[in-house]
Amino acid sequence: MMLRATDLGWHTRGRAIVKGVTLQVARGEVLGLIGPNGSGKSTLLRLLSGLLKPSSGRVELAGHPLSRLSRRDIARILAFVAQQADTSDRITVRDAVELGRTPWLDALRPWSAEDDHHVATALATVEMQGFETRDWITLSGGERQRVHIARALAQCPQVLLLDEPTNHLDIHHQLAILRLIARLGLTTVVALHDLNQAMGCDRLAVMQGGRLIALGTPAAILTPDLLHRVFAVRATELTDPEDGSRVLRFHHVT
Amino acid sequence: MSLTLTGIPARRGGLALRAAGIVLILVAAPLAGICIGETRIPVGTVAQVLANRLWDAGYPVDPIDEGIIWAYRLTRALVAGACGAGLAICGVILQSLLRNALADPYLLGISAGASTGAVLVAVAGLGAAFLPMSAGALIGALLAFALVTMLARLAGGGAGARGAGQIVLAGIAGSQLFNALTSFIIARSANAEQARGIMFWLLGNLSGVRWDDVRLALPAALLAVAVGLWHVRALDAFTFGAESAASLGVPVRRVQAVLILAAAMATAVMVSIVGSIGFVGLVVPHAARFLVGVRHARLVPAAALIGMVFLIAADILSRVMVPGQVLPIGVVTALVGAPVFALILIRRRSAP
Amino acid sequence: MSLRFASLTLAAALCAASAAQAQTDYPLTIDNCGFPISFDGPPENVVAIGQAATEVLYALGVQDRMAGTSLWFNEVLPEFADADATVERLADNAPSFESVVNKRPGFVPTMFEWMVGAQGVVGTREQFADLGIPTYIMPPDCEGKDNLVGADGTRLAPFDIATLYKSIEEMAAIMDRAERGAEIVTDLKAREAAVVERAEALDLPDASAVVWFSSADMELDPYVAGRKGIPAWMLERLGLRNVIESDEEWPTVGWESIAKADPSVIVLARMDRRRFPADDYERKLEFLKSDPVTSHMSAVKQDRIVILDAEAMHASIRLIDGLETLAEGMAALKE
Repeated sequence: MMLRATDLGWHTRGRAIVKGVTLQVARGEVLGLIGPNGSGKSTLLRLLSGLLKPSSGRVELAGHPLSRLSRRDIARILAFVAQQADTSDRITVRDAVELGRTPWLDALRPWSAEDDHHVATALATVEMQGFETRDWITLSGGERQRVHIARALAQCPQVLLLDEPTNHLDIHHQLAILRLIARLGLTTVVALHDLNQAMGCDRLAVMQGGRLIALGTPAAILTPDLLHRVFAVRATELTDPEDGSRVLRFHHVT
Repeated sequence: MSLTLTGIPARRGGLALRAAGIVLILVAAPLAGICIGETRIPVGTVAQVLANRLWDAGYPVDPIDEGIIWAYRLTRALVAGACGAGLAICGVILQSLLRNALADPYLLGISAGASTGAVLVAVAGLGAAFLPMSAGALIGALLAFALVTMLARLAGGGAGARGAGQIVLAGIAGSQLFNALTSFIIARSANAEQARGIMFWLLGNLSGVRWDDVRLALPAALLAVAVGLWHVRALDAFTFGAESAASLGVPVRRVQAVLILAAAMATAVMVSIVGSIGFVGLVVPHAARFLVGVRHARLVPAAALIGMVFLIAADILSRVMVPGQVLPIGVVTALVGAPVFALILIRRRSAP
Repeated sequence: MSLRFASLTLAAALCAASAAQAQTDYPLTIDNCGFPISFDGPPENVVAIGQAATEVLYALGVQDRMAGTSLWFNEVLPEFADADATVERLADNAPSFESVVNKRPGFVPTMFEWMVGAQGVVGTREQFADLGIPTYIMPPDCEGKDNLVGADGTRLAPFDIATLYKSIEEMAAIMDRAERGAEIVTDLKAREAAVVERAEALDLPDASAVVWFSSADMELDPYVAGRKGIPAWMLERLGLRNVIESDEEWPTVGWESIAKADPSVIVLARMDRRRFPADDYERKLEFLKSDPVTSHMSAVKQDRIVILDAEAMHASIRLIDGLETLAEGMAALKE
């Protein structure tokens, strides 16, 4: 198991935001995290990445308790792409991606050709070659998201956590990002908003009110009954005549 | 222009050239400070004094000239350079950590606390005999910083944008408190005659600088620059905020503590030696970013160099602007700094 | 020089006039620093702001008509100790506006415009005038001086001793003590002439001097006497050239400039004040002898250093005392 959470909980100001979450993510698996707004998806991702200290329970990363690993050790294994990370600094695309090499460098181990190689590969993976010298503030939302992912890839992680990476993107870029994530072959946990997009994941975890209420394959999870219970919608299932895949259509519950 | 320059860091290429340039600035700036002063001393005499002192050359030189050059001007230039470099680095560190373009060493209330300490010693008769004014300033600076960080902590400060905001607010509150205390002490126990002397000191003054001040200022500046250089990658990692830095493997709390403590100590030392010199910590980092970009591997050394040159130049100006009289250096830095800052802001906006 | 002569004759004329009439004719109207003040009769409940103004009143013997005094720098002159014991000390420093007004004063004289004036610490002259209280600034601090420029004001014209004599005569006239005022002035003038004569007899060749009052911190640029102030007048009367060229009353000047000017005499102020380390004249001496630059100045090497009371540098009845002390110090250097 690459990532294992046991009875994970976190509360602030006397209010439990995440409680009793237990789940495991296997090597190379893409786990989709779905749930309504405020169900604790972002908090769970931060707990899994070690950015928040759990109030209860524990997280293991590649067999090691997260609490015993240094920030640097974690960052060499796990990369996190936050939902909104912006800057007013006048940095270039290349500057932003180079930040991904931070956990591998220090004052005694300076930048080397190997780091150049990782940055170039990461940029190529997100198809942003040629953008190196572009100023961050001139990038579109989709380009920024791809740069963030390239920055995460430059960390050479085994585990990638993404918090709603397709948010605020147009449909073309949404699909491009999802295709990219699927292609990477990394152990991935991705919080998603769009349930049709979630169907592309290997497994889905459903959060509601801070609890993990269902965990399984998309086909087993996205049932009309669960959708009604969790998202308060009525869903009908259609089949795409092009490739025979399932498509969900949602109706307001009257 | 600076964008394309920073886009592809020129590694190795021109490294020797750049090192030579840095050494040239390091030598030329203090040298200018030694040659230009209140009175006219020929460059030849300056060279002879330096030769006498450094190589025991034994040129016959008027002892007053020799004293002025070696004991007054050289120490002034060295302390001015150290203060400029140190304050600029403090500005870089605080602006990067707090993600706040307006952050500077004075934001944390350090200078206000130093002023209070100095005034308490000088005016309230805590006894100038027991405690020099600069020691009072150092104690006041550290006390103010401790109070401000405690307040920020109580207000829920810590990693993250909210924490950064809290320390800014706590700094403003602390500055107000200590400025009010200073005014209170002056109003209560000084007549206007003494208050004026204090105000002159508070505006920043390099006139009383001697070799023992150099022995304090130089290590403080070197420490600040060294800590800054050691953390260039960590500082870069704060580009997208503290959480992003944490996810990049930076131990955020520890790095913040080390950097801010180094900045506070350096500022306190500088303020205790020369009084509060405004605008260096604020303007110089922006000027350096304008020239070499935002990556700290270049920004930290560039800011240190620019700060050094800026303050030495300001010191020279303060000595020659009004003949026979020395202006407070804080007045000069503000006079030069404010328009330069405005220019940078406008240029930054209009640049593509 | 001709300007000085003119003002001296003017003062002499005024002196003659007031001496002629021993009793003041009320109502009396005086133009004081461009501000007209008038009195219907001899004022009661006088509140003086400043030691110099207070001691002039004591010299006139009018302490029984005083309700308060304030802003003291030194001990009162021994001959006035009894008079001083009968007058309330409102504050050692600047008094508050209300504490002055509360005495219902008929007259408020001060030695400094920064006490009562456009930026007065106590109040503006208009504030007092609105309450019907006439204020008086001793002319040495307003005639030929702009108190809104420089830390301690800036002299537009060199200090003129006639303004001090004028203060004494005007205050005497206001207090209906014209005769006593004329006596004081005559005495001071005689002593002034005598001391100048003694100094001339010393025949110091091309002597220059600097007057070091104090410094905010031991090694900071010192406060020294400007070229138009009272200490500069004292130097000039005794034939010494002030090396400082600023018009400010007490400018700060770098040691570099002072050392390069290398004055033949250094005058150090002695005072009771202990705000700064350099207030102590022994600390000043110590600095001069130990600093790597000043220790090479000729005045320091040849020990040509004179100590002078700070109070004797104010425009007060002590000014001639100061001039005498300075002349004695110079005579001692000669030996």
